[in-house]
Amino acid sequence: MSDANEQFAGLRKGLLEFAILTVVSGRTVYVGDILATLAPTPFATQEGTLYPLLSKLRREEYVDYQWVESGQGPPRKYYQLTDKGAARLEELAAYWRHLTTTFENLGR
Amino acid sequence: MERVVTINLNGNPYQLEEPAYDALRAYMDRAQAALAENPDKAEIVRDLEQAIADKCAGYLSPAKSVISRDEMSRILTEMGPVEGAAPEGAEAPRAESFGGASEGPRRRLYRIKDRAVVSGVCSGIGAYFDLDPNVIRLLFILATLFTSGFGILVYIVLMFAIPSAHTSEEWAAAHGVPFNAQEIIDRAKREYGKFADDSAKSWRSEQRSWRREWRDQQRSWNTSFRSWETGANAPAAAPTKPVGYAERIFAGLFAFIFSVITAAFLIAFLIALFSYLTTGAILGWEAPNDVPYWLVLLIICIVYGAVATPFAALRRTSYATLNGRRDVGAADDFIVLVLAAVAAWFAWVYVPEARELMEQSYIVVRDFITHWTN
Repeated sequence: MSDANEQFAGLRKGLLEFAILTVVSGRTVYVGDILATLAPTPFATQEGTLYPLLSKLRREEYVDYQWVESGQGPPRKYYQLTDKGAARLEELAAYWRHLTTTFENLGR
Repeated sequence: MERVVTINLNGNPYQLEEPAYDALRAYMDRAQAALAENPDKAEIVRDLEQAIADKCAGYLSPAKSVISRDEMSRILTEMGPVEGAAPEGAEAPRAESFGGASEGPRRRLYRIKDRAVVSGVCSGIGAYFDLDPNVIRLLFILATLFTSGFGILVYIVLMFAIPSAHTSEEWAAAHGVPFNAQEIIDRAKREYGKFADDSAKSWRSEQRSWRREWRDQQRSWNTSFRSWETGANAPAAAPTKPVGYAERIFAGLFAFIFSVITAAFLIAFLIALFSYLTTGAILGWEAPNDVPYWLVLLIICIVYGAVATPFAALRRTSYATLNGRRDVGAADDFIVLVLAAVAAWFAWVYVPEARELMEQSYIVVRDFITHWTN
């Protein structure tokens, strides 16, 4: 398992954006939620990676955020998918399906 | 027992043991470097600080108010390395430059203008030898005092011969730091951009006023200045290919030599002009009686133009090579005037004959002006 972890790091890295968009698509989340959701999956990531990636996604207008007061501590940024982001996710999902069917057919 | 450092993370104070602070500082420096190209750098850094602050809060309680080194190292491990997520394909070249950096870049002598007092020679030498530029400045001043002015000449030659650090790589080479230390480079770029903007502005305004002032007088001796007029009015030429370090040293030396030569011609021209006007003779030579006064003046001007123009062209070429641009505006002419003024000042102080001539030429100019204004 750890072997696969090492070997397919590049593959996962490319798909991380897809994974984050998928997490954000479900509900508005803050960074802690995203990290917690991804932690048990192969896409487990860290703040150091996540913040730059989120800022890139926001710059590309796939996600947006609002400041929400939290019970304790300072306000947090809650991220949600934009319409453009939803379209992008749709596109990615379609392409993913295309890739998997391609693989299934290649084996025959 | 450790010293405690209080820091401000997004507006809230946190107390860290000193090693914890050092670790955090190093982490944030690396983060800044990784994000150097990122347009949202400031915001991401704020987010990272906030995330670290949140994690710190998890370790603190009313009974515990200081973050230890171990806790900070755990926090930073949780945060993970900051990745640029910068423009696509930025990763590969950076990795490459990291590999090359281990041996360190070659250290070279450059003038560093962003910390210059006069032209950056001293700060460049200081950076090269890892010394405070002020020490070098002091040495130069002392040398000048002990050699009765010779030190200034050395400084002027160095000013021409040492290329100034224009690009971030050169800036880094001047300091001998690895030039993929992104943050330092960024700073250098910023500072240089600022400097270039400012100096370009001041140059332009200087050029304009200078041009206004001199245009009328230049009409009479414009052969040697025509090239300058077109040069200054032409749009900024596209930069030519970058020039190597050694070539720039040669170009700098030639620029200096040709500047001195053209300055000498200018001085000789002025001396000839004024000595003819005041004494009717040029260094003891008197024009034949049948040659009219105005024709001698015209001949002096034409001879000056003919002799000085080729050297002015060579000088201009040297400056163009030096600056990597095809035309350099009035900067080189201005330097010639400064050199001539310095020489005139020395002559005024040390050569009584020259002083006498200058006083007489002042009278000639004054009489000329009163003649035309009355």
